[in-house]
Amino acid sequence: MMWLCISALLLWTESGQCAEMTNTSELIQYTTVDFFEKLHSGKMMFIYFERKVSPTISLFLVELEKSAEVLQDYGVLVGKVNCNKEAVHTYCTDERRLHTAFLFRGGKEFLGLDLDTVFDVNSIVSEVLFAILREEVKYVHTDADLVAMEKAARGQKDLVLGYVQSLGTHEHRSMMEMAYVYGSKYQFILITGGPVLKYLGVNESSQVWFLHCRVHSGLTTSTTSERCPLTHMRKPLSVLSLHSFLQLMEAPLVSEVYEDPSLVPPPPFPYQGTPQVFLFSRLPTKHLDMDTATRLAWRLRGIALLLLVHRQSPAVKTPDEYNAAYRLPEKSLEVKYMTLRNLDDVLELFTNKEKEEEEDEGDNEEEEEEDESDFALDDEIASAVYKNRGSLLDTDSVTQLTSENFHAAVAQSGLTVALFYLKWDAVSMAFLSSFIEVAERLADAEVNDVQMSTVDCGEWTDLCAAEPGSSLPVLFQPITVFPSILVFRPQESAQHYRGMLGSKALYRFIMLSCPASPAPLSSQEEVASFLQEVPHPELAGYKKPDRVLGLFKMQTHAGVPVFTKAAKSLRGEVLTGLLTDGLAEKWAADHTVDLPVVLVFPSWRTHTYPSKLSVSSSAEELLAHISTALLHPVPELTVESLPSFLSLGKALLILFVGEEEDEIGWRQNQMLVEEMRRVVKLGEGKMEPFLACWIHLGHTPAGMSVLGSYLGSMPPLPALVLTHLPSGDEIYRYPPNTPIVAPSVLQWLQRIEDRTESPAGLLGEDSWPPAEEFYDFLKIMDMQEPGSTQQQMPKKEEVEEKEEEQVGDEEEENVDDFGTNYNNSGTNYNNSTTTTASDVTINMSTHHQENGVKGQEIEVSFKRSPWPFSGNMTRVTLMMELINPNKVC
Amino acid sequence: MVFVTRCLCCVCVCVCVCVCVCVCRYPRHRKLISINKIHTGRSNPEFNLRHDWNSLLSDRRELLLKRVSSDFYPPADAFTLYLSMFEKELGLKVRYGADIGRIRAVQTDGDRSYILTDQHASDYKCSVLLVATGLWVPQKVEFVGSELVEGYESISTNPEDYKDQAVLILGKGNSAFETAQSIMGRASRVHMLSSSTVRLAWQTHYVGDLRAVNNELLDTYQLKSLDGVLEGRLEHLVIAQQKESGRRRSGGTKKKKKKGKLYVTLKKYVQNQEGKNNSDVSAEELAGYHIDNFPLRNTYDRIIRCLGFRFNFTIFDRSARPPNSEKAKGRLPGVTAWYEGKNTPGLFVLGTAAHSRDYRSSAGGFIHGFRYTARAVHRVLEHRYHSNHWPSTKLLTTQLQSWILKRVNEASGPYQMFEVLGDVILLRGSHCEYVEEFPVQALPQFSSLSGHEVSNHGLIVVVMQYGKTKIDFLGRTRAESDWTKAWKSNFLHPVLYFYDTLPTEEEMKLRPKGWPLPRSKAIHHMVEDFLTEWDSPISHIQPLRRFLEHCVQSDLRTFYAESCFRFSLTHRKPPLFCQQGYLKQQGVAHGSQLRQSVHDAGLMPTERDTDTSGADPAFPNYLAQAGASVSSGLKLGI
Repeated sequence: MMWLCISALLLWTESGQCAEMTNTSELIQYTTVDFFEKLHSGKMMFIYFERKVSPTISLFLVELEKSAEVLQDYGVLVGKVNCNKEAVHTYCTDERRLHTAFLFRGGKEFLGLDLDTVFDVNSIVSEVLFAILREEVKYVHTDADLVAMEKAARGQKDLVLGYVQSLGTHEHRSMMEMAYVYGSKYQFILITGGPVLKYLGVNESSQVWFLHCRVHSGLTTSTTSERCPLTHMRKPLSVLSLHSFLQLMEAPLVSEVYEDPSLVPPPPFPYQGTPQVFLFSRLPTKHLDMDTATRLAWRLRGIALLLLVHRQSPAVKTPDEYNAAYRLPEKSLEVKYMTLRNLDDVLELFTNKEKEEEEDEGDNEEEEEEDESDFALDDEIASAVYKNRGSLLDTDSVTQLTSENFHAAVAQSGLTVALFYLKWDAVSMAFLSSFIEVAERLADAEVNDVQMSTVDCGEWTDLCAAEPGSSLPVLFQPITVFPSILVFRPQESAQHYRGMLGSKALYRFIMLSCPASPAPLSSQEEVASFLQEVPHPELAGYKKPDRVLGLFKMQTHAGVPVFTKAAKSLRGEVLTGLLTDGLAEKWAADHTVDLPVVLVFPSWRTHTYPSKLSVSSSAEELLAHISTALLHPVPELTVESLPSFLSLGKALLILFVGEEEDEIGWRQNQMLVEEMRRVVKLGEGKMEPFLACWIHLGHTPAGMSVLGSYLGSMPPLPALVLTHLPSGDEIYRYPPNTPIVAPSVLQWLQRIEDRTESPAGLLGEDSWPPAEEFYDFLKIMDMQEPGSTQQQMPKKEEVEEKEEEQVGDEEEENVDDFGTNYNNSGTNYNNSTTTTASDVTINMSTHHQENGVKGQEIEVSFKRSPWPFSGNMTRVTLMMELINPNKVC
Repeated sequence: MVFVTRCLCCVCVCVCVCVCVCVCRYPRHRKLISINKIHTGRSNPEFNLRHDWNSLLSDRRELLLKRVSSDFYPPADAFTLYLSMFEKELGLKVRYGADIGRIRAVQTDGDRSYILTDQHASDYKCSVLLVATGLWVPQKVEFVGSELVEGYESISTNPEDYKDQAVLILGKGNSAFETAQSIMGRASRVHMLSSSTVRLAWQTHYVGDLRAVNNELLDTYQLKSLDGVLEGRLEHLVIAQQKESGRRRSGGTKKKKKKGKLYVTLKKYVQNQEGKNNSDVSAEELAGYHIDNFPLRNTYDRIIRCLGFRFNFTIFDRSARPPNSEKAKGRLPGVTAWYEGKNTPGLFVLGTAAHSRDYRSSAGGFIHGFRYTARAVHRVLEHRYHSNHWPSTKLLTTQLQSWILKRVNEASGPYQMFEVLGDVILLRGSHCEYVEEFPVQALPQFSSLSGHEVSNHGLIVVVMQYGKTKIDFLGRTRAESDWTKAWKSNFLHPVLYFYDTLPTEEEMKLRPKGWPLPRSKAIHHMVEDFLTEWDSPISHIQPLRRFLEHCVQSDLRTFYAESCFRFSLTHRKPPLFCQQGYLKQQGVAHGSQLRQSVHDAGLMPTERDTDTSGADPAFPNYLAQAGASVSSGLKLGI
């Protein structure tokens, strides 16, 4: 406030001097008629009703006149009404309004502004625009407000946050003018104080930040963090600086070029004058270089433009010693090259020229880096597990099995479900939480005879390897797939759970595992209950179970063990029952089947019409027949069911139906599916190579992107598509305007066979090359330590030996000769193999037969030793070399 | 004690000679310096062997040294006790008291066999001979007066016997320092002399170098407490004994027949060396006469030789004698990379005697190292004589990453025998064959030794390595934590080499300096870890995955079932992970299904695809809409 008063005072004295000019002013004077006319036309007007003339007011009028020109651009008429000539009612009469100027909008008074707040051009323009943009420009006080704003803007708009020390200033005006222009593009936020400043790390002066909330393609950091990344405008706030800053925010983060920096043109309009920073990229480290460039670009955003120069392009002539370059177009077009060790060096280059603010930059960086590491995982499951690393799993509901307690635990419980996992395996860890969820659910449902347990194979490696070792029997094969879920029952070999790794599927499996398999059925009632009742009330909400019933004349029939074996392996997936003797015969007679027979009751069919299978000679064969009988002829493809249908290897005739909003839609979809059935019926043998099926996009939203990728765009629903043809990758689309009726579908299929239809799309490539380049250590080692990574050249025998000797025992350090030159010149004259740990390698001829060391030719090599080899052999060999460690030589 | 036993391998053609002189007599001061770390905080028996340097391998995991001693540095007698327990509990057939004095090879009908003759002139014949006779012949150096020197093998171990004596110890290895340490509290001066400077095990990572447990003398030397360490060539020493007669004037009458003091001088000052009486050296011949501050100018009461041991070659006839090793001054027998004597087919060298392969670089000279190389030889024999392939584990390629992590986090063989034993992974497309602990120097002969063929998909070798640059081992820059600089790791860390074919012998020979293997097509270093736990998602796992992806040329990422569903419908084949999981009906569902499940019969809860990394970017709008919608339950045909 203090500042305000002072500036007002200054302005007053200043304009007092040119008071005379005010008289000649051409400030628009409105007559009452004009005023009302303009008012009723709904124009925005900023009007002062002049009655008395005081120095303050005449000063104000000068400023008002200046602002007229500016505000005209924003569609605001500025003027005064001379109340002394004709009085406009109330405005000219009310004393209290003497010191107020009014803003009219839409034919009404919109706002009155006290002359204390509108005292000069800047304050008039800023206040008027602020009032007009009241709805658009937000005001935040606390950090929480800002977080909410960021959240709301995420994916939609970027935010421009301006801090002005006080309203009505030049900075305020600049902000408002820009807000007026860019208001639809960015969300402008104004702050003048409050705790939010702490987050931004504001010091004294007015400043602007750009919050990148809209997802940028080149930007990988913003998607994971709570907060939008910030860019701080380093230049003082003005219309011009703000304008070019906002322009720069639109510039691509990193541009890739294939030319030498000297040939790259200076930045185009509107970035002209912005410094350019060039980094060089090599093909093998392309992705890393891009990452580095992106990281740096973030830090340079708003200061300089970053260009990544691809060295593989022959046009790039920059010597290898340089890894960066820059150009300051404001000064010259010359490109300066440099060798960077550290990204900060570049930053310094530009920030040194600017002043102030280093601190807040630091904060931002940290945040960004953190984000980056979060996002560094490109694996769907691994990154989900990693993101969740903060939440610890509550493992109270599961038993931890060890090599010691394993056998006792398995013997104790009717059913032990054991999850074998590795803690560094993301899938294991993702599933572990589902597993615990199942355990908790079982506990809640008071299913007591099931023991849920885990085995950490990183710790109980002997248990997981199913090592024989101990006296206890080994119940399973070594675990080599993680996670693995094994089901143990006392006295039985382990059963592998082979269903989806999800809590629902596992829960259903466990509940269906509870009844015996096959369940021996001994009365008519038991048979009825087997066929109709859900084995456990908990399963009421799940997919109805399929049932298989084996009917045999006698318990001793040869088919019984085959059926029993098959039933055992179906345990948990399908309910199986065994009916023998009199009851079986009665049942067979009632249903006109001959014994032995296996009846399959798929869940999708009423139990009165089972499929009848003869008893195969082997359980495997029987299982294959059962699973075929269980398949729905016109199935709905879901995430769960797709694999079992894909394995048929048939072409897929898929009907995509949308989510039905009402009863009518529902009936429509039902009819469409019914029509698909008719296609199968009508087509008979012709339909054999096809699997008619449907995907409900409401049940299976993933189907949407499938459909989209088939056709290149999202078609109206329903859509009928033929894909996965054995003959090729073509995808055909049923003519969208033709009603889906069986005969025309068959005709369409015929046309496809005749190759008269043209495909609507293609299946993707079958090969899945690595999504990311690997980090080529060898290349980097080659670059940084050339030579150390290369195979050695074939050498002569002696050299080879010398090298081996080098690691020999009792080696010689630089031994000094006491007898002669005390300090040095000399010498390492030894007989026998001599090597130093690092510097000198000397092998000399010797007849030292001891230890079987061969006599060798002299071979001397100094690696780093500075002194020359010299000396008199005969004399020297008589010397005893002792180094006096106390007097280092 | 000499015993002959049929060895671990149970190969009927083999006889194995083991000498256990070492532990019965050595170390003289009866304290082993191989650690017996019982408490590791882990229950993983394989991992725990990384920190148990004494136990032997058997099919009985619990047969460990900790059963006989709980000392971190166990007494040597505990080890003999352990060996007899080992023999008894495994029912090993050992013949004691057979002292093999001669071994010769005979050739009959193209079959080579070895004949061993014991002290009773009984012969033992075999076609495969495993020699594990260790190193027990004391290493000596000949110089004038060397007969005045006592040997480590026979010195008194009672410190009182060294009271107020000046002692010169020749040698600077563990036995020398062990001796120095035991007497330094009684002796007046302990000086240590050998040609090389002290090598500290904690700097060289070689456990045969001076261990910190023995290095108290370094303290007393550096703090100038009368002890000291010197360098000089022992061959040039002359040791002379002071004559009794020379002591007449110094009241020698009081002292009764005291042993004469020992002088140390240099060969070059001694005249007329031939026919010289050792104990007869004139004043002019003393080094101190020529160099007035000669460090060894004072006399010693005792000079002790602690120069280590060598292999006993004398029992071998010409026909069966393995050559002297190129390394270690020929103290050891020269062997191939699979420990067969060079020029002696069928004769294998095991144990400490086989240390020439990794002399002064790895742990092959010590129990915690050779227990694995012996097992490797056993596997070679199993294949050669019984046609049993090396044990291997068949893995799905999608499981390879986890398996490698499991091995680098627990395996004791490659950890102890770093740079010598490595795991070999034979890539076969959608699956691979994992062969553990193969001697990597024998890689050119991999197929013939192991029975496994290498396919055109190539192979990966996983070894543990130390950094090769000399650094300030306790300095601030000693460790690397940035995975992109993993190749600069100084501590033990896993390194993976990818080859498309087996390297040749020539390539192996000419491998880059300091490398355990030849230059390969691609290399991956896993950055060293302070905890030696290589399981961090960003620093260890993801870079490893990308390397493996490069090797197998396939995307190895994991996907939720929904992504697999999409890939399966939009491609003829989804990525490998979906092929090996989802398509086998074992897709991975998003978590927390039960809590939010819609109890609609037969319907999946609609879940929004939250992670778009695998999603088709073309349809974000539709996905978003779908995510917002709730299933209304179409009950068709049910």
